[in-house]
Amino acid sequence: MSVAIVDYSSGNLHSAAKAFERAAHEAGLDQPIAVTQDPAAVARADRVVLPGVGAFADCRRGLDAVPGMVEALEEAVRRRGRPFFGICVGMQLMAERGLEYEVKQGLGWIAGDVDRIAPKDPMLKIPHMGWNTLNVVRPHPLLEGVTLGPDGRHAYFVHSYQLKPGNRADLIAEADYGGAVTAIVGRDNMVGTQFHPEKSQKLGLALIANFLKWKP
Amino acid sequence: MILFPAIDLKDGLAVRLQQGDMARATIFNDDPAAQAKIFATQGFDYLHLVDLDGAFAGKPMNAAAVECILAAVKMPVQLGGGIRDRATIEAWLGKGIRRVIIGTAAVRDPALVKDAARAFPGHVAVGLDARDGKVAVEGWAETSTLSALDIARRFEDAGVAAIIYTDVARDGMLKGLNLDATIALADAVSIPVIASGGAGAVEHFAEVFQEGRADAALAASIFHFGLESIGELKQQLQAAGIPMRWPL
Repeated sequence: MSVAIVDYSSGNLHSAAKAFERAAHEAGLDQPIAVTQDPAAVARADRVVLPGVGAFADCRRGLDAVPGMVEALEEAVRRRGRPFFGICVGMQLMAERGLEYEVKQGLGWIAGDVDRIAPKDPMLKIPHMGWNTLNVVRPHPLLEGVTLGPDGRHAYFVHSYQLKPGNRADLIAEADYGGAVTAIVGRDNMVGTQFHPEKSQKLGLALIANFLKWKP
Repeated sequence: MILFPAIDLKDGLAVRLQQGDMARATIFNDDPAAQAKIFATQGFDYLHLVDLDGAFAGKPMNAAAVECILAAVKMPVQLGGGIRDRATIEAWLGKGIRRVIIGTAAVRDPALVKDAARAFPGHVAVGLDARDGKVAVEGWAETSTLSALDIARRFEDAGVAAIIYTDVARDGMLKGLNLDATIALADAVSIPVIASGGAGAVEHFAEVFQEGRADAALAASIFHFGLESIGELKQQLQAAGIPMRWPL
């Protein structure tokens, strides 16, 4: 078993890699975690993680700049059905389009666009940065054993945009920031979190451990 | 990214120290609530308060000034200094402080922080003030034998909302933040890191976000002395590719 964290020069992958290593170790799972720029390694990986920070279009361009990487993701995730975990903009890239600064195509794995969050309370600033509880819309294996809801564990968000799923069935969990914002999306063997599991302490480690055990 | 402007309270006044030395205090506003309003009007997102007398005394000493500030501004406020027991934590959160910062007690009584973080998720932060890598306590009058990394690791997974890391030697000197220590801390724990101490220019903020992997930064002098306006600072950081909080 191998887990590939895709490195396409979109920010610091160190904390993500560390969180996956730690979750694997604590759950007693023997899954080597590899941060890789090699499309071949991604294509044959047993699990794929796509992080991402910054603007949607920049991340998409970063992904396109690694020859063969988009094809490798399609191969591993879509054709071979390997479990996929998108984080922050890595999750947003699952959408059809991003509307940040310019309209840019996503991977098109989840129907919907990535659009700016618009809190109803004018006191709430953009980006949304901070700790929020999660409200479950649809149960999912990644959430197993995690206390959620208003008295549940907190997740760490840093974002100005959100993926708005075209199909309500793809929405797993929301957070409240002057209205509901998308926190987790998922379809088939693919899941993505808007928040940073690697910064979300217990909630994050539990989600990562569940992902490493997930057999969709 | 969030930039926190800091107000240090001494004898009910807003002051600035250099390297934590109470003898080197500059009074920059005798009405701290008015100063807080100025920061709110300028477009800051979140205010950082320190009860300096409280840090030395081990209990709140500038409560009246803090309450005036809470009454004056709507933006969230975090407060450190003299918060060493559960009753004080609950009292401040009850009065509207968004986040309490535990420093000395995080070294001496880690269970207090862990219990409080569990009871008030998102509302308890740890303040680590380091002198030559070792954590200073009691209003920086004493230095412990523990490193900032040792203390930070204690609170991994405890539900602490943030670690505010201040380099004592750099504080108030405007020569730049401690990048190496910020990187080491951000790598050691998953808790978001707020870097503090020494910011004096736009580049100092940019490098601590980009290279130092900080999640937020905190500064006082640069904002008090009007060296940089927050609007220009945010625009310049945004232009450097660092997402900032808007609107002003």
